[in-house]
Amino acid sequence: MKITRISISNFRSIKNAEVTLDDVTVFVGANNVGKTAIIDALRIALTRRWGMRGTGFQEYDVHLPSEASDPKTEPPVSIHIETAEAVKDEWPDELIQDLESVLYLDPVSEKHSINLRVTCKWDENEGKFVPTWEWLNTARQALSGKSAKQTNLDRFWQYLPVFYLGALRDADDEFSPRSQFWGRLLKAVQIPPKTEKQVVRVLGVINKRLLKADPMLDDISKTLGSMTKVASVASTGGADLRLLPLKPWDILSEAKVIARNETATPWLPLENHGQGLQSLSVLFLFRAFVTHLLAELYEPYSTPVLALEEPEAHLHPQAARALWDHILSMPGQKVLTTHSPYFVQRVPFRWLRIVRLGDSGTTVRWLKESFSISVPANKALAAIVKKYPAKLSFDTSSSVLKVSGALEENQYRDLLTCYGEHPSRVDATAALKRLAEESALFVSDSDLQSLETFAKRIRGEIFFARSWVLLEGQSEFLLFHALCKASKLNLDAAGIAVIDAVNNGYPPVFASLARALGFPWIAVFDGDNAGNTYIQGIATRGFSAAEVNARCRQLKEKNLEHQLIADGLENVLRKILVDMGDSDAATAPKDELIKKLTKEKTRYASVLGELVIADPQVAAKLPKSYHDVIAELPKLK
Amino acid sequence: MTTEAFTTAFGSLTLVQREAVLVGDGSVLVLAGPGSGKTQVLTCRIAKLLADSADESFKVLALTFTDKAAREMLTRVQTFVPGQEERTSVGTIHSFCAQVLRQHGIHLGLKPDFTIFSQDRDRQLLLEEGLQETARTEQEISTDHVRFLPIIDKLKVRLIDPASAAERLTKARLTEAALIARVYQIYEAQLRRENALDFNSLIFETYVLFSQFPAIAKFVRRVYRYWLLDEFQDTTDGQYRLIKAMAGESFKNVFVVADDDQIIYQWNGASFRQIQKFTTEFEPKVIQLTENWRCPPGIVEAANRLVAYNSQRTTSKMPLVSGKTELSLPAEDHIRLMPFDDDAAEVKGIAEDIAKRPTPDRSRVAVLARTRSLLEKICAGLVAKRVSAVILQRRNEFLTPQFRWLAAFLKQAIRPLDKRNLPLLVESFNRMTGQQVHSELVTARAESSGRSYLEEWIGLVVAATPAGPFAALLETARGIIGDLSGFRSLTEEMVDYAEHESLENSEALDLQEDLAAWKEISKDIGRHVGSTCTLDQFLQELELRSKEPTPPRDAVTLMTIHGAKGREFDFVYVVGLAEDTLPSFQAKKVGDASPEMEEERRNCFVAITRTKEQLILSWAAKYRGYIKQPSRFLREMGFVP
Repeated sequence: MKITRISISNFRSIKNAEVTLDDVTVFVGANNVGKTAIIDALRIALTRRWGMRGTGFQEYDVHLPSEASDPKTEPPVSIHIETAEAVKDEWPDELIQDLESVLYLDPVSEKHSINLRVTCKWDENEGKFVPTWEWLNTARQALSGKSAKQTNLDRFWQYLPVFYLGALRDADDEFSPRSQFWGRLLKAVQIPPKTEKQVVRVLGVINKRLLKADPMLDDISKTLGSMTKVASVASTGGADLRLLPLKPWDILSEAKVIARNETATPWLPLENHGQGLQSLSVLFLFRAFVTHLLAELYEPYSTPVLALEEPEAHLHPQAARALWDHILSMPGQKVLTTHSPYFVQRVPFRWLRIVRLGDSGTTVRWLKESFSISVPANKALAAIVKKYPAKLSFDTSSSVLKVSGALEENQYRDLLTCYGEHPSRVDATAALKRLAEESALFVSDSDLQSLETFAKRIRGEIFFARSWVLLEGQSEFLLFHALCKASKLNLDAAGIAVIDAVNNGYPPVFASLARALGFPWIAVFDGDNAGNTYIQGIATRGFSAAEVNARCRQLKEKNLEHQLIADGLENVLRKILVDMGDSDAATAPKDELIKKLTKEKTRYASVLGELVIADPQVAAKLPKSYHDVIAELPKLK
Repeated sequence: MTTEAFTTAFGSLTLVQREAVLVGDGSVLVLAGPGSGKTQVLTCRIAKLLADSADESFKVLALTFTDKAAREMLTRVQTFVPGQEERTSVGTIHSFCAQVLRQHGIHLGLKPDFTIFSQDRDRQLLLEEGLQETARTEQEISTDHVRFLPIIDKLKVRLIDPASAAERLTKARLTEAALIARVYQIYEAQLRRENALDFNSLIFETYVLFSQFPAIAKFVRRVYRYWLLDEFQDTTDGQYRLIKAMAGESFKNVFVVADDDQIIYQWNGASFRQIQKFTTEFEPKVIQLTENWRCPPGIVEAANRLVAYNSQRTTSKMPLVSGKTELSLPAEDHIRLMPFDDDAAEVKGIAEDIAKRPTPDRSRVAVLARTRSLLEKICAGLVAKRVSAVILQRRNEFLTPQFRWLAAFLKQAIRPLDKRNLPLLVESFNRMTGQQVHSELVTARAESSGRSYLEEWIGLVVAATPAGPFAALLETARGIIGDLSGFRSLTEEMVDYAEHESLENSEALDLQEDLAAWKEISKDIGRHVGSTCTLDQFLQELELRSKEPTPPRDAVTLMTIHGAKGREFDFVYVVGLAEDTLPSFQAKKVGDASPEMEEERRNCFVAITRTKEQLILSWAAKYRGYIKQPSRFLREMGFVP
């Protein structure tokens, strides 16, 4: 069982957000945009320790649209968690039998799902925020009767235990005998009675020997022993000086992890190692816990959900990248947040969730595989759905029409015919239009595949940016950077990622990706055929002509070198080449010059870049489209 | 992990009983005569199934005929395998269907918070409303057609849907077939519009659900690996088909307990044919429990003699064998015959006979009759002799305006637009407080102000109610209009009020009964659904339950033979054993060898086999002035020549 979807309303920075979860889901976004809120929503909704300090919802958890808002009168916090079978018969009999009264069964696909909604609102009588749990059917109506019994919740939690590890992981705390994993692991240790007896005996012998080792110790022991003679009247008690623990448990509870980095370095306790190793050790502790204790403490079919913040904390880049494989191989479902581009590099595109804070609260974007709307059922619709079985599906209980991938033009037209005379024609048509638009955001697996090979080279940081500039190659990249510097535009501060898209893949795919993930973007291509092809490629991906016009710029000349020469930088470029040791460059004919430049693309570009920064007159002669883009960037949407 | 209680119970079973408890997979038909310990067999079997699979999660489904039987069974299972009872679902077939529909009804367009209409008045009003609306566009429809409701009920019991009703009715040579079918359609549309169900729909809709979506039936089979069906002889054809749809082609773990000699709901569709069908379709292993542990030997012999006159029964059925050895009375006192000159003398004589018994013994006495009218006379006779007596009957409604108002108010709070419930709410409050508010006034004001009926009504009555308990009730009631989750504050206040009233006024017998019934029902709902039960669930459960309380201690119980099904008493008076009463006039009219006459005979069989110590058979020579012969059953049992 795993969590497939979470919808959150009126919780902290989130007004309304819905996000699907994968085996591993990685939330990416700037600080304070609501990543932790999503994890907390999940954690609070699925945690049994209600009412204890630091758990449950509080006054500060209610989303406040304005400063004057009162959390007691705002709409209630609502968190809806869905867990669904991905394929028929995924869940074992035991789980189905145990949770039967809260299960929803789709009688057509025969897949089960469970929908839990937790709402929390101010209760005037109780004087506090009071949570309620409800199980829903797919039409989001609360189940009642036996299904509403409180015990169902305990059973459900038992199958989906959530473990949370915050960004600040202190090995000292996590390896204490009272901690969530280490403590329970130690307590589960079973020592055979025979061994225990032996250990106790040996401890006693050593204790005695130590006492005898120094006469002073022996004397102290005797002096203390006489105190019981004063205290008790009837029987003789006793006191002993114990230098060693009494029982094996006393020893176990003191158990410590020691580590060394290389064979030559000394063994040291964990807390004497760096933060990175400490933080890492806690992750591996969790893994040990799940392996040894989960089935015993929970159910054989329980799925642990690990909510983990910044797994990369304090790790150097290579380690952050390597960490991914460990996380992937951990049992259960993982929900992560990260600030590490190195870590993100390894995450498959579909598992990324881009979190932003906008005017209406936190939003989440990701590369969806299917898109849904709600439309009334009718016979014509059923026929169309049947016509495209691989593409369309309709759930009659919830009236939800789902399309896998993008809705094709002919499918869209077919669907529109279903509501010709229908009383809700206007609404249905609008919904279908929305479906067509939303599903146009679909990025196919083959597109992603084409990026995947290069993605390892793109710094993951583009997913942390606010907007993207797509350029063709590296010389463009260098000169654009230089011009920004000359124009006093700090790309990092503005959160702008410049992508040399041809080197890293295929520019139209980046455009699709930007649109799907909600990154505002702008592109400059060459004036040659290749440039035309990129623009056409973008146009065929469902961007409107107006949008292509607004976002895609082209050099007037066929490429950068021609453009620079046309814009009056011929002499400057000749000089650069001469300075680089090519004396012929001073006099070579123009087409020869361009050949030379093309050969030394990045070298000349970096020298020219320095001139651009130093000399406003040179900067002014860089392509007009660069200047235009820089002017537009701050207000790009 | 079974308890000592289980070991004791299991240890006291006979070999045949144990066989029934221990039989493994596959279907089983247990033919269990009266007093043969079938409840013990059922509970021991459930306990054993659960104990042997303690590390598994599947559940056991047990369907009983009454809520009371379900409660008893569950309590016993709890003592046998504590902690495992969560893995059972014990209830009536109606409550089981309600749960299935709450969880899966969405596929038929039913929302989980549906209302259950248990009262005919509600159903008639609902249909009338639909007819009225349709009459505007369809000439042939009028509100008079509400008279078709009983026929519609019969169609639903037989699982005939509106679409095929016309054809079936024509086949049955009913005139107006098309019209009835149309009215049926209107009725069903009305129910769906209100997100409501009547008792017959519970069975019907569940049947439709399983038939249309076999995956849901499969789900039920996956969860409930063993099914036990009690009192199977009173299963209707529709209920049987529901069970069959739920079982599908290959599911066989159905354990059925039945006695075809105890079918007394033939008029409601029960038939020995269901047992026959079960035998052919499930091919069960048959186990006969013939030993009777309840009745003195003389009664067992009489019962055997009586039922031998019936032909519609399982042919291989063996006669009952008396197994009871410890008897508190000498053999000559086990059966007493009391003939009287006329019905007045019978009433008087029976009342006197009971009055002679010591007070603590009276709760051990039951008076059984074929019909209610005789019971009423005897009840009056007993009360005249200062003997506490109660006629037990399923009650669909509370007796007092107080509790009727409470139920009506809660219903209105959850369904603010319900116009049919409003007069009930208004009238009951009027009767409770002596006010004169008209529901038409409330409706009119609400329609002009745009506020809800409930708000308008409360506004009107609050102004007219002086400070005191009613004003306090209204204040609390007003508080829950906006926040239904607090509905218990109102029910608790009503309970406090009723407790106070019945202490002040010991004559308020009805209020005491309602109060006792309300408390029992609330407690039971709490056990069933949990303490967090929401108002809509609470009302669903309230509708499903009978509103009569458990009789007080020391009271003599009077009940119809139908009501006595499954019960047992130390001293049983079977009265009115005369021709035209038992057997009934109607059965005689159809013929001496008719199925109706056989049902009458089974009525008598059921009546006498309720006895643990002493059976008194009485009859009069004259009823309402007409001379009547002693019942033929007296002769058949060998008591009169």
